[in-house]
Amino acid sequence: MKVFDELIRGKGYSIVDIENMDIFENLKNSFIEKMNIDKNEKNIDILRYKMTSMTKSEINKTMINLLSFSEASELMISSCKNIVKDLSGDELFIQRRAAIIFNLPGKDQRRQWPHYELMSGISPFTFVIWAPFHDLDDDGGVFYIEQPKSMEYIKQEHKDGLVNGPSILNIQTKEKPAKLKYGQAIIFNPFILHGNIGFASNLARIACSVRFQSSAKPLMQKNTDFLKYYKLN
Amino acid sequence: MTIATVTTDINIGPFRIPSNAQNMIMNNYAERNKLPVEIVIPEPIMSNQLATTKWLHTEFKFSKIILCSIHQLPKNLNKANEIINTFKDVEFHFAIEGIKGTGNKFIHECINESRVFENAQKIDSQEYDWVKLHKLLQSNA
Repeated sequence: MKVFDELIRGKGYSIVDIENMDIFENLKNSFIEKMNIDKNEKNIDILRYKMTSMTKSEINKTMINLLSFSEASELMISSCKNIVKDLSGDELFIQRRAAIIFNLPGKDQRRQWPHYELMSGISPFTFVIWAPFHDLDDDGGVFYIEQPKSMEYIKQEHKDGLVNGPSILNIQTKEKPAKLKYGQAIIFNPFILHGNIGFASNLARIACSVRFQSSAKPLMQKNTDFLKYYKLN
Repeated sequence: MTIATVTTDINIGPFRIPSNAQNMIMNNYAERNKLPVEIVIPEPIMSNQLATTKWLHTEFKFSKIILCSIHQLPKNLNKANEIINTFKDVEFHFAIEGIKGTGNKFIHECINESRVFENAQKIDSQEYDWVKLHKLLQSNA
């Protein structure tokens, strides 16, 4: 229940250890295979290096192609089964297609500007689990703003009739991206402001994220377009 | 063997999609999946029995049928079984969900999933603001 309390009444996010590394490893290796760069190559860092020379449109195209990697979502959830169960029970709505996200080092690269997940129309009862496929040694991760401060921004913009307006988009946060190790994940509630900053490295950052909620909790704007029913064994 | 897309009523489960947008969704899906569509079937509004599609199948022997969503399948068990029996070997594609499959098990799974979502509670976002939604999470989680 510690994670639950932290997500609901605490800072709104929590770093956890992935419970089943065999499943997570399987997810990572399946992803590497689908990238089809070298059939025998299982080293994620080689892939990360090769990705740094891809154009923005190639990256975008690759991310779209990876939407067909439909097992990724279940693998990610299964790798953290008990944590997910404690948060949302065993009957779930989970993201139909997990997002596999690439961030390239250097300036002028695509990055996720500050936002909170609820703006996409997911239910307020949805949690996000995000895990990198390697150690995060640089600033290539995601910064998270603790719940009280996130809500301050959201309430201020709400007063001005805005949602994810300039004061959020222009956040100059002192928060540094969380330096997760391979085998760790971060779970956060949909009100937590987060985003990327530019970073210096020779390697791209690759991570996987999946949204999930209890099927007993209400949906909002997302339905079967985004979610599927999933029962944990 | 023919590939068909099928448009239906604007109300598709939780979605409201005009027929031209249904065509855009299905044509984009077909293009991405390299499926050459030959027949475009407009089903009448206010019916989810796919009667026109069934009738045309006798002539065209569809190999694949593309619909926008699993919510366009009939919920009534008898009507669902009619679809399954008529289109035993036909591969169904649902563009919004991005899934495909053939036969009894697949179609029943799709109908059951549609039912689960239909029965789920819903938050009407027009009745809430961000602050109320946050309170809802904190009080009901």
